[in-house]
Amino acid sequence: MSSAPSAESMRENDAGTSILARQRLNRPVAPHLMIYKAQITWYLSGLNRITGCLLSGGFYVFGALYLVAPYIGWHLETAVLAAAFAKWPAVLKVGAKVLVALPFTFHSFNGVRHLTWDTASLIDNKKVVQTGWTVVGLTVVSAVLLAFL
Amino acid sequence: MALRLASRRLALASATAPAPRIFARGMASVLEHTKGEPLSTVSELLSSTTAPTPPSKTSTIKEPEPEKSSKIKTFHIYRWNPDEPSSKPKMQSYTLDLNKTGPMMLDALIRIKNEVDPTLTFRRSCREGICGSCAMNIDGVNTLACLCRIPTETTKESRIYPLPHTYVVKDLVPDLTQFYKQYKSIKPYLQRTTPPPDGREYRQSHEDRRKLDGLYECILCACCSTSCPSYWWNQEEYLGPAVLLQSYRWIADSRDEKTEQRKDALNNSMTLYRCHTILNCSRTCPKGLNPALAIAEIKKSLAFA
Repeated sequence: MSSAPSAESMRENDAGTSILARQRLNRPVAPHLMIYKAQITWYLSGLNRITGCLLSGGFYVFGALYLVAPYIGWHLETAVLAAAFAKWPAVLKVGAKVLVALPFTFHSFNGVRHLTWDTASLIDNKKVVQTGWTVVGLTVVSAVLLAFL
Repeated sequence: MALRLASRRLALASATAPAPRIFARGMASVLEHTKGEPLSTVSELLSSTTAPTPPSKTSTIKEPEPEKSSKIKTFHIYRWNPDEPSSKPKMQSYTLDLNKTGPMMLDALIRIKNEVDPTLTFRRSCREGICGSCAMNIDGVNTLACLCRIPTETTKESRIYPLPHTYVVKDLVPDLTQFYKQYKSIKPYLQRTTPPPDGREYRQSHEDRRKLDGLYECILCACCSTSCPSYWWNQEEYLGPAVLLQSYRWIADSRDEKTEQRKDALNNSMTLYRCHTILNCSRTCPKGLNPALAIAEIKKSLAFA
């Protein structure tokens, strides 16, 4: 038919999208997060993002506090923190170290997994599940090892 | 057909009126499930509710003529009627005798529509996994109803939802207008100006044709795109795995001459790069295709010019 989009055909297009917009006002959105099956694919991906936010957020918060500490009378130097931590009971010390190490180790190992995907390798359903569980295992083992250092 | 259904419904109403289930288990209220997800809370407050009325609060429509040796399985199916737009979506329960039902989920849906509840609405056509019409979320996974076998354990109850985070036209029918618009936007046709060397066909070597294997078989059912959380949140601007798989199909086609323009169209922060390799797409593809790999190849070809 006609080659260039005429003013009339553009308006018809807009009429169509406006009808769609009006229909969507009444339509519900189908459920998603709450009904989708728990799979290692999106669970580990979500966990990677959450641990990343925790790690970088924590880093920024601590960095900012460290800069501001002298002006509000706090002492956040390593020696002071280490001395306070040393007074905790052993169980709490190991427990806290595992909790802090877990996001770090998970994000690191899963990060390596992400980098291999950027080379377009190991993107196969079986390999994704295998590497996923490997990362989970390595995460837990290394976090415990780090906690006992 | 109508007379047969009418007489069945009369018999059903008089003989075995469906008793409302009065289970004591607490089910999530409309907004409770959004705790911890502030964005979802906001969108759900602003839009129509997405959490359907749970099965314990709706009636169960039972198998018309149960027998002693019947294998009764319960299905919970998402229902919403646009003729009553202010009513909330709900989960309607149906029980079926698996001995009288075909093996696939689509057989169960068709049997429910024919014999139990004719108002149940869903798309279907080929019943053999090639048209892509019956794409829906069955037991938490996006797949084609005609290819999904009904799990025969009668103790487990199956849940059928429409494709996640799509606007629902009615019951299990999603609105795929945007999906098709996105497909059209990548120009899914051969773009070539130089005439064929022998004046007859645009020829292609066997190796070049093999590059298209795993790409051309896509039936555009939208299972993968609607399984992608990134597509859920960025539907307007992110193309989604299905459309990106097809754009790679044209980038990889040796006969196409507009490869650079096709790659340029993807070279921005949203259309391609909202993919964060979540990998739900390849996991859910009912045809066994690998959109995630195609997207990785596109990213590689863009990165290394």
